[in-house]
Amino acid sequence: MISDQIMKTNVLELPMAEPGLELTRSNALHIIKNRCLSIHQVKETTNLADVIDGITSGDTVLLIDGFATALINGVRGWETRKVTSPEAEVVIRGPQEAFVETLRTNTSMLRRKIKNPNLKIETLKLGEVTNTDVAIAYIKGIVHDDIVAEVRRRLDAVKVDSILESGYVEEIIGDGPLSPFPLVNHSERPDKIAAMLLEGRVAIFTDGTPEVLTVPTLFLEFIHSPDDYYEKFYHGSLIRFVRLGALVMTLALPSLYVAVITFHQEMLPTPLMLSIAGQREMVPFPAFIETLIMEISFEALREAGVRLPRQVGQAVSIVGALIIGEAAVRAGIVAAATVIIVAVTGISSFMLTTSAGITIRMLRFPMMILSATMGLFGLSVGLVTILVHLATLRSFGVPYLSPVAPTTTGDLKDVLFRAPWWAMFTRPRLLGGMKDPQRQQFRLKPTPPETRE
Amino acid sequence: MNELALALGAAVDRTPDGKFLLTLQFAKPGEFAAGAPEGGKGKVSAPVWVVSATGKTIFEAERNLAMQVSRHIYWGHLIVLIIGEKAARHGVREVVSLFLRSPQPRETMWVMVTEGEAKNLLMSQPGLEKSSAQAIGFLARSKAGYSVELKDFAAMLASKGGEPIASRLGSLKMVTTPSLGQKTPVEEVRITGVAAFKDDKLTGWLDPSETRGLLWLKGEVGKGVVTVPCPGKPEKQLSLEIIRATTKVIPEYRNNKVSFTVRLMLEGDLEEEQCDENLTKPETIKAIEKELRKDVKQKAELALSKAQGEFKADIFGFGEAFHRAHKREWRMLRDNWNEEFARAEVRISVKAYLRRTGLLTKPATLRE
Repeated sequence: MISDQIMKTNVLELPMAEPGLELTRSNALHIIKNRCLSIHQVKETTNLADVIDGITSGDTVLLIDGFATALINGVRGWETRKVTSPEAEVVIRGPQEAFVETLRTNTSMLRRKIKNPNLKIETLKLGEVTNTDVAIAYIKGIVHDDIVAEVRRRLDAVKVDSILESGYVEEIIGDGPLSPFPLVNHSERPDKIAAMLLEGRVAIFTDGTPEVLTVPTLFLEFIHSPDDYYEKFYHGSLIRFVRLGALVMTLALPSLYVAVITFHQEMLPTPLMLSIAGQREMVPFPAFIETLIMEISFEALREAGVRLPRQVGQAVSIVGALIIGEAAVRAGIVAAATVIIVAVTGISSFMLTTSAGITIRMLRFPMMILSATMGLFGLSVGLVTILVHLATLRSFGVPYLSPVAPTTTGDLKDVLFRAPWWAMFTRPRLLGGMKDPQRQQFRLKPTPPETRE
Repeated sequence: MNELALALGAAVDRTPDGKFLLTLQFAKPGEFAAGAPEGGKGKVSAPVWVVSATGKTIFEAERNLAMQVSRHIYWGHLIVLIIGEKAARHGVREVVSLFLRSPQPRETMWVMVTEGEAKNLLMSQPGLEKSSAQAIGFLARSKAGYSVELKDFAAMLASKGGEPIASRLGSLKMVTTPSLGQKTPVEEVRITGVAAFKDDKLTGWLDPSETRGLLWLKGEVGKGVVTVPCPGKPEKQLSLEIIRATTKVIPEYRNNKVSFTVRLMLEGDLEEEQCDENLTKPETIKAIEKELRKDVKQKAELALSKAQGEFKADIFGFGEAFHRAHKREWRMLRDNWNEEFARAEVRISVKAYLRRTGLLTKPATLRE
């Protein structure tokens, strides 16, 4: 765990080139600390616990005979993974680097994005057994102080054996512990984390994982992608509407299909009705069972594709597409319309970021049961229940549905519609408070020069 | 969904012993699916199934009919209600009652009346569509005649200032073409004009050219063709497409006498001419416009004289216009409006404009 090279050059070789000093018993510690140890991080301590902590963390401790003080040399060094491109959050345009497992590397990547003394990083250790390093990052002056205090308070209360991934922290400090919705967001992209901090959020780095948590979390964050801010604002805005549509479709399309087929045949135009009725003529199951079978096999295929090595994963999707798309319809076990519905739902679910996507995909099953038993009424009941639940949630004191509900008119510039950068005048109000709401100058919109002499 | 029998068309007739004969046309869903055998070899069954039953009421007839139908009868996709001549002459209020009261049938289904038995029309097999009910639905939507939806029909029945009308349907025997695999003669349905009612009883028919007059007076022309003789050459014809048409009915009440002024306006584009007029001359245009005025006025008067003379029924809804303009007088006249209407003087004035002459000003095939 200790870098050999550093030990050798700094602790042993360099001091030998320092002549003219007399080493006595009384000034030994002083001379060794100031003159001999050319190491960037030397800490003096009289506490045994700190000594143990230093050793277990990979530092070397220098104990000098006759002194009740130990010198902890920060010479940690170990094999790390290189910074690579993001795996889960891919963008077309934008930086192609992702966080790694090492905390210090991650915080330095963030520092490279925000070169400002107001970017504060506080470290602490969590996990009684694992002693995992955890860092809180925020930008002083932008963040709401109460939120930082609340994050600190909640982290201090974490008394567990181990923190092996940021998910451990997320579940312990997050609001709505029983809610299926993610109340803490996470990302592996330094640019996204930097943007989050600049909006007044707090980031929580956990050593050993590239996923960095951000709080407070708003529901509509999950239909945002870094791309939206890098591409033209028309593109960014339109694609957010498409993602919102995908969110609704993932949640409600299969249940709408089941409800209409089972109870509300009058809602389809006659030619479509005849076509679907014709397809379903041979199907031996009720629409609900049929859709359920298809949705579950879709989830199975998806899970298989994720777990298997990449090459085999492709084979799984080919088999799935062939068997489910083709043979099941030919055999008359499912209707072609059902396959289309399940496929569209599947594609829609891929458009959502993973954590929100899992929730929505999960919720579509109870929704299907509701609409199979009570039709569109059940579907509406389900949707209203979900909406009411969302409205009750708060993440670190900020309403989950804000800035839509409660409405903060000024913040709607960056919810579905993404305002061009020359019009992003203010910071989000509910996140950062009203301390320093002005983000940038007015009248940034580019105009042509006035004269053409 | 698999347990439903989707009714596409319904026909109501009266049997000689005073019962209702209800005929329903059901879709066979398998025949409507993509990939179902499309005619040709191997096809034995028709895509629809037509069943009839009788009963003292239509609902009773439907119950009797349900005994032959293996699935639950579903009315939600009913496209058309055809009323046979006998049932229509007997009164249609009792016919539409079920279709308005029951929640399943839509108010937007088409209501049609046919000469003879309505059942036969549902039995006919159209050439383009899979079922005759769909064919009738598309015909109605193309506004070839005066198409009436159930809700409008009911509103006309309920109104004192206008008598109900509905499309008149006929069928046309097509010749058999064995080369196309047809064994029985194909029967095509077609719209043959309008059925006029007095109160809820069928009173007479309008033929296609009288129907045009009716559409003019009701202000429902919208689109269509006007064919008039060439100015100065009555044996040659000109055809125009109507691009804009308006109708304004101005009711008057003076000296206890009801009269109406109807102002018609049409704008048309020339589509076809058999003569070789030079259309760059304003006089020619004027002459054609004069012919147009004559033709439209003549058709409107044809329909008017039939309604005032033969039917003595206000099928144009003039009563409603009168009601809007003279509220107080309407209260005295409404209970015997049809007599007042028959006595009323109706002045028709037409303005016609020829707007464009197409890509040519002179026939392109003319030898100079």
